[in-house]
Amino acid sequence: MHHAHIDKFSYQDSPIHRLDSRVKFIVVLIFTAVVISLPRTSLSILACYAVGPFAILVLGKIPLKFAFKHILLVSPFVLVLALSCPLYDKTPVTVAFGPFSWQSSLGWMRCFVILGKFVVTMMALIALVSTTRFSDLLTGLQRLGLPKLLIIQLGFLYRYIFVLIDRAHHILRARAARSMRNLGLKAELKIAAAMVGSLFVRSIDTAEHINIAMQARGFDGSWHTLSKLRIRRRDLLFLLTAASFMLGLYLLVKPVLQ
Amino acid sequence: MHMANELLSVPVAVGTLAIAAAGLGLVCRKARQIITSDKFALMGIMGAFVFAAQMVNFQLPAMPGTSGHMVGAVLLAIVLGPHAGAIVISSVVIVQCLIFQDGGLLALGCNIINMALVPSYLGYFLYRIVTTGPSSSLRTYIGAMLACVVAIEAGATLVPIQAALSAVLAVPFSTFLITMLGVHLLVGLVEGLITVAVLAYLQQVRPDVVMDSLPGKVRLSRKAVLITLVVFTVIIGAGLSLLASGMPDGLEWSYAERPDQPNFEPAVSNDDPKIAAADDFQSRYSPLPDYSVRASELGKAAEQDVEAAAGWTSFAGVAGSGITMAVIWLTARLLRKKRTPEA
Repeated sequence: MHHAHIDKFSYQDSPIHRLDSRVKFIVVLIFTAVVISLPRTSLSILACYAVGPFAILVLGKIPLKFAFKHILLVSPFVLVLALSCPLYDKTPVTVAFGPFSWQSSLGWMRCFVILGKFVVTMMALIALVSTTRFSDLLTGLQRLGLPKLLIIQLGFLYRYIFVLIDRAHHILRARAARSMRNLGLKAELKIAAAMVGSLFVRSIDTAEHINIAMQARGFDGSWHTLSKLRIRRRDLLFLLTAASFMLGLYLLVKPVLQ
Repeated sequence: MHMANELLSVPVAVGTLAIAAAGLGLVCRKARQIITSDKFALMGIMGAFVFAAQMVNFQLPAMPGTSGHMVGAVLLAIVLGPHAGAIVISSVVIVQCLIFQDGGLLALGCNIINMALVPSYLGYFLYRIVTTGPSSSLRTYIGAMLACVVAIEAGATLVPIQAALSAVLAVPFSTFLITMLGVHLLVGLVEGLITVAVLAYLQQVRPDVVMDSLPGKVRLSRKAVLITLVVFTVIIGAGLSLLASGMPDGLEWSYAERPDQPNFEPAVSNDDPKIAAADDFQSRYSPLPDYSVRASELGKAAEQDVEAAAGWTSFAGVAGSGITMAVIWLTARLLRKKRTPEA
């Protein structure tokens, strides 16, 4: 039920993995909001905020290389927009960092702040997702009030995404084995449409089979799980640590570093 | 066009999250009335299908190296009906955020609105308007094409609007909007082409799928559809004109909204005596500013000292954080190493 390439770390065991998914989700959500609301001009404070998700990643035994590769993978859109900032905002500023001080522009500051915030919030999100099983996360989200239909939909989607991606890989390999050159738009489009179409038809058939199998086993539209969510002492401890980390940074470091 | 956390301000993010949650709740309630539990598996697998279909890419002729793939919102809306289609695409966006980290947690509201709710409904309505009447395959194709282009452009229009309201980017609103519209015109055309081609394939292989046999088909009166479209157009148009006239770009919006950060842009803040006073106050007494905007005007040694001190503070902050991270990493590593020989 999980794919080797995407969420392999959420099935490990560590103090972070054992925490309640609701607590983790809420902490990451609030952390993201706090980081986003930081002023758009102070770069160095982001480094302090990065300590939090970094600690969770390390405690959760998530390889840092994996996390940073993932961040790099999803960065293009933000990267383009961030790099466009220096083009439009050329207010000169002097940046001082330790013994060094150099002339720069406000646009570059904005660019780096956007990128810094991106890295920090993505680290937090990766820390959440790769230390929580998706099914636990869904149970937690349902308890937090997401519509049941959406939870069931997400559960199904997650179960079959890897099956269908495997199928798509098979189809792609078949095409790659048979096509030697680019055939021009019309032929390529026709081939792609046939690939997507056959995938579609097979998906519908699979859905029908699954539905029959589930009806036979008494599926009535509600989802029963064995995992029980309970807020334990360690969850409260985590909540307390996270809250004091964010509050401490907000009250102590922010006024100094800004 | 996944929106990222960093391009949004917290009020915009929270607002869009609330709108998306309310919309999605409404859609779920509506869908619950139409869809029985034996269709849950179909909807789930359709969501997984979107991911798989996005992997099927094909070469675009004009630009070597670029390849197109489909998004699938309109295809699903046509096949499953708008409510189920919107739920499926929303779940796709949520999974993209949570598992593939595409788009941030706070930007999820924006992404659900831009990529799921708006394209599904708008695309479905447009498709329905074109295809009502005697059915012919040409009508189906024109309807699907139009639906794809307009639905994707509508979603793409919302991205710069949300970014401009947040005022994080320095890019002028109009430039951003034109770029997004241009890029997504291409995306929409590719999406339309492949949707039409898939529909043509399905009509040959499984004509029942394209006709009305699948669940969630909503019979819409022409009037209701037209009213929805008009309301949507008015909202978008009003939002655009408001942004275009009131604030030529997102930057000025931010200055108008943020007198608490006066040293942001001297050209604007100088106009207002109050802000200028605050600026002066801040430049004199602010506790070690991270950088100084008025660098070109700074000549006094005292202020340079302050600047240098600020540099050292920020250096200390970064170095301290770096050392903390290194300590955490080393400790964890040592602990783990100790444990492995025991095990």
